[in-house]
Amino acid sequence: MYDTLIPLIPLIPILGFAFTALFGRRLQLTYGRWAAEIVPVGGVIIVWLIALSVIVPAVGHQDPFGEAGLDVKLWTWIPAGSLSVDMGFHVDALTAALLIVVTTIGMLVHVYSIGYMAHDDGAWRFFAYLNLFMFSMLLLVLASSWLLMFAGWELVGFCSYALIGFWYHKRSAALAAKKAFIVNRVGDVGFALGIMAIFLDTGTLNIADSLAKLTAADASLTIPIAIVALLLFAGAMGKSAQFPLHVWLPDAMEGPTPVSALIHAATMVNAGVYMVARANPLFAHAQDAMVVVAAIGIFTAILAASIAFTQTDIKRVLAYSTLSQLGYMFAALGVGAYAAAIFHLMTHGFFKGLLFLDSGSVIHAVHEEQDMNRMGGLWRKIPITHWTMLVASIAIAGIPPLAGFFSKDELLGDAYKNGFAWVWFIGVVVAVMTAFYMWRLMGKTFYGESRVDPHVEPRIHESPWQMTLPLILLAIPAALLGIALSWPGPPLGPLFGMGDQPGLLTGWLDPVFAPSEEFLHGAPAAFQLGGIDGVLILISVAAAAIGLVVGIWLFGFFGAHGRHALVERLTAANRATRFLYRATLNKWWFDDLNDLLFIRIGGRVAAAMWWFDRTIVDGAVNGVGAITRDAGGGLRRIQTGRVQNYALGIAIGLIVMAGSFLVIVGQPR
Amino acid sequence: MLSFLNGISQSLDAYLVLASLLFAIGAFGFLARRNAISMLMSIELMLNAVNLAIIAFGAFNRELNADASAIALIVIAAAAAEATVGLAIVIAIYRNRKTPLVDEYDAMRR
Repeated sequence: MYDTLIPLIPLIPILGFAFTALFGRRLQLTYGRWAAEIVPVGGVIIVWLIALSVIVPAVGHQDPFGEAGLDVKLWTWIPAGSLSVDMGFHVDALTAALLIVVTTIGMLVHVYSIGYMAHDDGAWRFFAYLNLFMFSMLLLVLASSWLLMFAGWELVGFCSYALIGFWYHKRSAALAAKKAFIVNRVGDVGFALGIMAIFLDTGTLNIADSLAKLTAADASLTIPIAIVALLLFAGAMGKSAQFPLHVWLPDAMEGPTPVSALIHAATMVNAGVYMVARANPLFAHAQDAMVVVAAIGIFTAILAASIAFTQTDIKRVLAYSTLSQLGYMFAALGVGAYAAAIFHLMTHGFFKGLLFLDSGSVIHAVHEEQDMNRMGGLWRKIPITHWTMLVASIAIAGIPPLAGFFSKDELLGDAYKNGFAWVWFIGVVVAVMTAFYMWRLMGKTFYGESRVDPHVEPRIHESPWQMTLPLILLAIPAALLGIALSWPGPPLGPLFGMGDQPGLLTGWLDPVFAPSEEFLHGAPAAFQLGGIDGVLILISVAAAAIGLVVGIWLFGFFGAHGRHALVERLTAANRATRFLYRATLNKWWFDDLNDLLFIRIGGRVAAAMWWFDRTIVDGAVNGVGAITRDAGGGLRRIQTGRVQNYALGIAIGLIVMAGSFLVIVGQPR
Repeated sequence: MLSFLNGISQSLDAYLVLASLLFAIGAFGFLARRNAISMLMSIELMLNAVNLAIIAFGAFNRELNADASAIALIVIAAAAAEATVGLAIVIAIYRNRKTPLVDEYDAMRR
C-alpha cells in the first residue's frame, strides 16, 4: 500500500501544477478565481491526508517502515555503467518529521493564499508556482539518492526565484529574485561538488549506501571526509542562508507574504538543516567540519539577531529572526545535537510560519504598509491576528510552556553538555536578543499610540476567514507542539515524576541519530532536573524573560505605552551606541561589502578579462581570418576569366621550367 | 644516307629553327587572338611545330627513327581529336552566346 501512497505525495502537486499552469488562466477568466484555485488547494489538502497516513506508521517504526525506514524504488533513473541512480524514495522518521512541517504548513498557506490573493489577477499563476514548490520540496525530502535530492534542491530554488519575483513589474522584487537565485547558486556549486566527491569516494549516489561506505572503519577515500562534509555544508549555507551567504533571505521578503511564510521561513530554508541532519554520520566522522558548522551557525544567529534590532520593515525583522533561528539549528547540528536541531526546525517552522502569516494579515489590514513606524495600536482592531501573533512571539522568545522554549532549551542544553560552552553562551545571549526584538516588533505593531496613515485608519479591518482560520490552526502547534513532541521526556517528564524517558520526537528520531550521537558523545547522561539541566533551563528562561521585560518596558504592552523617547536617547547616547545603531541599521554593511567585492572590484576584473578576451584572444582568431580573407582578396584578381591570361601563365610557366632545366642541365659537371 | 633529301638542308638546326618559328607563331597567335577558332588554329600550329621537331630528331638520329615516327603519329591523332572536341565546344558556346570571342565567355566568373 505504501508503495503507491508515497509516490502519490509528490505526484499530486506536480499534476496540480501542470493543470493550473495550462488551464488556470482560462478557468480564472471564465469562472472566477475559485475555479483556478480549487485544484491546487484541494490537491494539497489530499497530499496532507496521504502524508499523515504515511507519517503515523513511519514515526512509530511500524511495519513496513521499521527502524531503518522504507525504500520505494520506482525505476532506475540513470542506468549508466558504474553510475546507476534510482528514481526512488526513502521514508524514515526524519523524512516523516519534515513531511509534517512541509505538508501541514503548505496546506495552511494554500488556504491562506486564497484570502491573500483575492485581489490579484495573477492568482492562478501564484497557485501553480505554489504547487510546483510543494512538489519540489517533497521530492527533496523524500529522495533516496543525492542526485534526486539535488534535483528537488534546484527546483525549490527555482520556485523561490519565481515567487520572490512574483510581482515582476516591481523592480525591487525582480532584483531580489535574481539576488536569491545567484547567491543560492554559490552554495549549490559546493553541494554539486560534494555529491561528485561522494560518488568518487563510494561509487554510489544512494544516500544510505554512500553514508555507510563513507563512514566504514576501513574506508579508503580519495577525497577526505572533512572536505566532503564542508562541500555539503556549503550547499546548506546557501539554501539555509547562513553567513556569508545570508544576504539573499531578507531581500526575499519582496515576494508575497504567504511565500515568505512557506518558503522563506517554514520549509525551503530548512532544506539545508535537513540535508546536514540526513548526512549526520558523515558529519559525525568529520569533527573538524562540525566545529565549522557550529561556529558559522552561532555566528549567523547573533549577527542576524543584532540586525533585527533596528529594522523597521515588519517582514525584514522576521526574516532576520529566521536567519538567527536557522543559525541556532546549525549550531545544534554542529555540536552533535541532531534531534534538538530537528526539534527546533519543526517548532520554528510552525511559529515562524504563523508569524509571517500574521504579518501578512497586518500588512493586509493597513493596506500594504510594511513599515512598523506607521503601525501601532492595532491590537483592538485586528484581534485574531494580534492574539495569534502574541502566541507565536512568546513561543519564539522561549517562554514556557510554548513551543519555542522546549526546542531552544534542548538545543542550548545539549550544546553545553556536549562541551561547547561558547556556543551555549552565545546562544543564551541570542535568546535575550530574540525575546527583545520580537517584543519590539509586537510593541511597534500592536501597542502604543496609532501611527497609521489617517486615511487608512478608519478602513482597518480583520482579514477574511480563509486567512484567519490558518492563523488559528497554526497557533495551536505554535503553542503546544513543544510539549507534544518532548512529552514524556525532559524537561516536563521528570518534573511530573515520569522518570527518565526519551521524549516523543527523540524516540522517533532515535534510529536515525543514535549511532552518530553515541559515536560523538557516548551514551547520554541521565537527565538531572535538580542538577545541571535544571540550572540550564532556569538560565534560558531567565534570558527570555529579561529580553521580554526590557522589550515591554521600552515598547509597551496593551494600554501601556512604551518609552520610545528613551529608545531614541539610548541609540544616540554616545559615539559607541550611535556606531552600533548605524551598523545594525545598515546590516553590518554586508550588502555594501558584497557590492564592493563583487560588483565594483569583481566588475573591474571582469571588464579586464573581457578586454583581454576581446583584443587578445579574439584578435588572434580574427587576425587569422582577416589575413586569409585579405590574401584571398588579393589573389582573386589573378582569376580574370580571360583565357589569354591563363595561357600567358602557362607560357611563362613553361619558359621558367624550360629555362631552369637548361640552366641546371647546362651546368658543367 | 640522306640522299633522298637532295635539295633539302642537310642540317638539323634548320629544321629546329623552322619548328621553333612555327611554335612561336602558334604561341603568339594563341595569346594574342581573341577569336576561339583562331586560337584552335594556333594550337594546331604549335602541335605541328613540335611534330616537325620530333620528326627531324628521328631523321637525323637513326636510333630514334622508329620512336619518332610513332610519337609523331600519336601526336597527329591526338591533335585531330583535340581539334574535333575543341571545335565542337566552340560551336556549342557560339550557339549560346552568339560570339566567337573568348573575352565574352565569362559565365564562370560571375
